[in-house]
Amino acid sequence: MSGNGQVYEVFARKKRADRFEHVGAVSAPNEQLARVYAWQTYDEAKWFEMTVAPRDAFAAVNRPQAPFTLGGPGGRAPGADSR
Amino acid sequence: MGRFTDEELQRKVQEGFIVESEEDMTETYKRALITQLTVQGDTELISAPAYFMAARDAPSTNTMVSATAIIQDELGHANIAYRLLEDLGVDRHWLLYEREPAHFKHPYGFDQPLMNWAELVSANALYDRAGITLLGDVHRNTSYGPLKRGLVKVSLEENFHLRHGEVWIRRFAEAGGAAKEAVQRTLDWMFPMGVEWFGMPDDRKHHNAQLDFRLKGMTNDQLRRTWLKAVVPLCEELGYDLPAQYDPGTDEVELTYELPCQYDPEARRWLFNETITWKQVFQRWKARGPMNEQYVDSLRRSRFAVERLLAA
Ligand SMILES: [Fe+2]
Ligand SMILES: [Fe+2]
Repeated sequence: MSGNGQVYEVFARKKRADRFEHVGAVSAPNEQLARVYAWQTYDEAKWFEMTVAPRDAFAAVNRPQAPFTLGGPGGRAPGADSR
Repeated sequence: MGRFTDEELQRKVQEGFIVESEEDMTETYKRALITQLTVQGDTELISAPAYFMAARDAPSTNTMVSATAIIQDELGHANIAYRLLEDLGVDRHWLLYEREPAHFKHPYGFDQPLMNWAELVSANALYDRAGITLLGDVHRNTSYGPLKRGLVKVSLEENFHLRHGEVWIRRFAEAGGAAKEAVQRTLDWMFPMGVEWFGMPDDRKHHNAQLDFRLKGMTNDQLRRTWLKAVVPLCEELGYDLPAQYDPGTDEVELTYELPCQYDPEARRWLFNETITWKQVFQRWKARGPMNEQYVDSLRRSRFAVERLLAA
């Protein structure tokens, strides 16, 4: 987790009918700054919509661990309660 | 970690296996990946103060805005690399704020001052081209899934930087006179920096974990050749002189000086007659160049100033 708070995954889509894409991640001390960092960092397109979610909010469905598990605190196993 | 041995993983990635988690890795793989990402992140990060130094000479508000947009892109690219390193257990605060400036891993070319607009756009044309050559290869070939995804944004934006550089050096060439001369003087010291950017020649490297684990696809010499074949014909077309020649018959570029050679950073001049060994080049890189400390310091100064202000 480090001094930077926690990891937020960033999703975005270019227009209404599109699916959301996972465009990256940011480390931030809180959700408000995560939103700012995400918008500033992933500015490669004119996004219609962008959203962030804390990494540890993701639950695995078919694999033993949720994605984004590398090294970080996220990626909880199924059944483990997040908060 | 520990599902595979090094040999098993090497065979799997050569067959197209994509690594997605720590348990897919071996210790050797992870170490090679961390080195690669550190070089990548440091290069992106240090390009920001280097470009900023030159951007202060922007000829108008509009050009200042486009230079600032490039600098902001580079900081975003650095963030992507450091974010991936954080997932591998590397402390980002340490990377950014605690390392000795001399321990950063960016190329020697970004330890040099960039003095004016001609130098900024030449760097876009040469160094961002080097970045595209290196990262484009990684993007196509890397066995590390998270990096492959992270590079989508980077590749897109690097192409803007390159176009910015190429459009401007063309404009300077067409203007002729003192304008063209300013770019020519820049290329005189910057072009051989670009040649060195790709590291030791292949016959100096015994084995290469980044190739064995498919963290990249091309060797140093293949990457250097790709860069030369993009840069040299363009500069020739624009009427700039480089110590290299493009042969359209064979589609090959030949350097017209002996590699490696010595550089005098004070005079900003290559001593083409002073041939040295690669070991000496390596020592020059390790000792770092004239702007190393200043560039690193400029990235740290404001943050600590703000912290002091808030603590007061
Ligand atoms: Fe970049
Ligand atoms: Fe760039």
